[in-house]
Amino acid sequence: MNDPGVLADLPAPQGVPTDGPAIAIRALGKRFGDLIAVKGIDLDVPRGSFFGLVGPNGAGKTTTLSMVTGLLRPDHGKAFVLGRDVWADPVAAKRLLGVLPDGLKLFDRLTGLQLITYAGLLHGMSRDLATSRASELIAALGLSEAQGKLVVDYSAGMTKKATLACALVHAPRVLVLDEPFEAVDPISAATIRRILEDYVAAGGTVVLSSHVMDLVQRLCSHVAVIADGQVLAVGQTDDVRGGRSLEERFVELVGGSTEVEGLSWLRTSSD
Amino acid sequence: MVAHLLRLKLLLLRNLFRRSRAQTIGIIAGIVYFSFAVVGVAVLLGSLRTSLDDARVIIPLVGAGTILLWTIVPLFTFGSDPTLDPARFATFAVPTRDLAVGLALSALIGLPAIATCVIMAGVFVAWTVTPGSAVAGLVCVVVGVLTAVTTSRWVSARATGALQSRRGRDALAIAGLVLLLVAGPLVAFVASSGADAKGAAGMLSDVIAWTPLGWVWAAPTDIAAGDTTTGLLRLLLGVLTLVVVGRLWAGAVSDQVENPRAVARSDAGVAADGDLGLFARTADTAGGAVAGRVLTSYRRDPRFQVALITTPLVPLLLLVPFVVGDVLWAPLLMGPLVAFLLGFGEHNAVAYDSDAVWLHLVTATPGVADRRGRLVASALLALLLVPAYTLVGAGLGGRLDLLGGLLGLSVALLGAGYGLSSVMNVVLPYPVPESGESPFASPPGAAGATLLAQTVASIGTTVIAAPVLLLAWLGWQGQVWAVWATAVLGLALGVAAALVGIRIGGRLFESRGPELLAALRRT
Repeated sequence: MNDPGVLADLPAPQGVPTDGPAIAIRALGKRFGDLIAVKGIDLDVPRGSFFGLVGPNGAGKTTTLSMVTGLLRPDHGKAFVLGRDVWADPVAAKRLLGVLPDGLKLFDRLTGLQLITYAGLLHGMSRDLATSRASELIAALGLSEAQGKLVVDYSAGMTKKATLACALVHAPRVLVLDEPFEAVDPISAATIRRILEDYVAAGGTVVLSSHVMDLVQRLCSHVAVIADGQVLAVGQTDDVRGGRSLEERFVELVGGSTEVEGLSWLRTSSD
Repeated sequence: MVAHLLRLKLLLLRNLFRRSRAQTIGIIAGIVYFSFAVVGVAVLLGSLRTSLDDARVIIPLVGAGTILLWTIVPLFTFGSDPTLDPARFATFAVPTRDLAVGLALSALIGLPAIATCVIMAGVFVAWTVTPGSAVAGLVCVVVGVLTAVTTSRWVSARATGALQSRRGRDALAIAGLVLLLVAGPLVAFVASSGADAKGAAGMLSDVIAWTPLGWVWAAPTDIAAGDTTTGLLRLLLGVLTLVVVGRLWAGAVSDQVENPRAVARSDAGVAADGDLGLFARTADTAGGAVAGRVLTSYRRDPRFQVALITTPLVPLLLLVPFVVGDVLWAPLLMGPLVAFLLGFGEHNAVAYDSDAVWLHLVTATPGVADRRGRLVASALLALLLVPAYTLVGAGLGGRLDLLGGLLGLSVALLGAGYGLSSVMNVVLPYPVPESGESPFASPPGAAGATLLAQTVASIGTTVIAAPVLLLAWLGWQGQVWAVWATAVLGLALGVAAALVGIRIGGRLFESRGPELLAALRRT
């Protein structure tokens, strides 16, 4: 994992490469005390791909995505967004990135419209542009009714959608979404899915993490399975699953047993 | 079941000492400190044994005060002890009666209850005058403490129900603030009418002794004085009070267990569609956006409103020595004090954002814009308060000749505070109540970090402004040149300190963003 050669095949971080991966992760590692959460991961997310990151709880998905999006400083390795080093040239990399983190709070005393406009303004957009885009996003995500309500009063699904709008408002080239479908109702999930599919069709790149194998199998063109801080398999979704369902392949790779032992007393067939 | 609940509470008490070593030391130091105070009060109360007349006045006041404290405190610390929240037990099949008894008794395990019991031991000693009053005293102390604890549980359970909505919580926070503001002057007023305090206390005590708050606290004294009939009547009434409170508590428990989520959700929006609120009025830049958000918080977040309302009031306290003691120089400090408070007040500003600050990180918000934007709300307040208080203070103190120097000193303190705060709130954030929590709640285990940061912020501000403070002192001593030197140097130093602090803080905000976020997540 310390092989210096891994960086050799990358495009130069400076300049504007027209090809090469949307996100390149090289020997990325992070430890928290005694726990090594991410063990030197190498990963390329091709441009224009819909990339799924799957893994069991504690596999290092959120840690990896946080290091790619500039929210958590890696102990080792590098991450590039369209050739820009996230940690050496953060402003350029972050301009290209839209981020939806998992489990972080929002400025919840703002209304939905204010929050999304705020994200746009922080990106340096003019107020007129930020407001008009915020209004469009609110309409597209079905938040029109709630735009004047405080985010603190939003349901979990509405909060997710508002966060997604914050990630989209500056028209990023790459979207990194941590658990975008968690706690989202089926109608909202369908809306989000359509927006993301359109985004990819128009040339954008989406990376998302999820527990839901069915969803990843249906949605993602590429998938990486990570467990215990390492990449177990990566590639086009159809190649990775090799004719079986992604869930079966995942269980096989991660190696957990789904056999249930005991609990015989729970099978109360008598009444 | 009751035993289970008691054991749960004991376990939680023990876990208090199982956190980090620094926190444990802090907790133990606090316990030792308060033990002295509590034991002192208990000994004082015990010494009333020799003076029945004093006991008649003081004990009902202490007892009623105890019950009131137990009633009011849970209103402001709601949610701080969820182990005793009946709604948590809704999913377990526990008989309501057992739950009510168990939860009330387990409220007796805990530091506040232990302190109460120690104080009440002193009260009991004061009553051991005759065998009869001693027996009555024992009964009354037990009934009194149980009444206090049960009332506290009842209020807390009802409050949690009413306060599940954000609006309810915010309203209570504001009410608490008003109470806090009224309490100060009230105490001052009572203290200033000192001469007749004893007579007033006696009258108040007599009245309380005939209310549910005071029955049990007066009965043993009656018996000791030979008035057995009145004593027994009050004792009976006190026991009845406990029964009534117990019933109310049991009712609250069964309501909560049967219907734990009976909460009305307010669906009203706060803004019309397309209304940007304050964002439409702040500058069209990232810094302007940050300013707009902080200003919005002042409008909607009780945590900010507490600071907004208390900051202008604190300097008014300087008027007390001026009015009461004819201390002419006290009002002169009003302007510098409000400037100091406003600058100092920003030293933990980022912590109030909690980990929502991720949005600033992923948008690569320029550090300087973030720093500047955060100061705008406070600076607007300063623009209003500092000149007003300086002018009024100099006028009241009869030293309008010092006006220039006082303004210079104020600007120096304000600028030094802003500069230092702009660095400190990135480097040394400490836990504050989360958005939606009571602004008066103190996050567990934060006392050490809070004390450290506040000490550094106040001493640091003073040190940075030290040259100007020195000049101002010389001016006060009668050196006319020093007054004008204070004005000029104060202005220059204040502006320079703020600018340098914002620059350094901005650079730190950009380079230490992930570390800041990690610190805020932990807190």
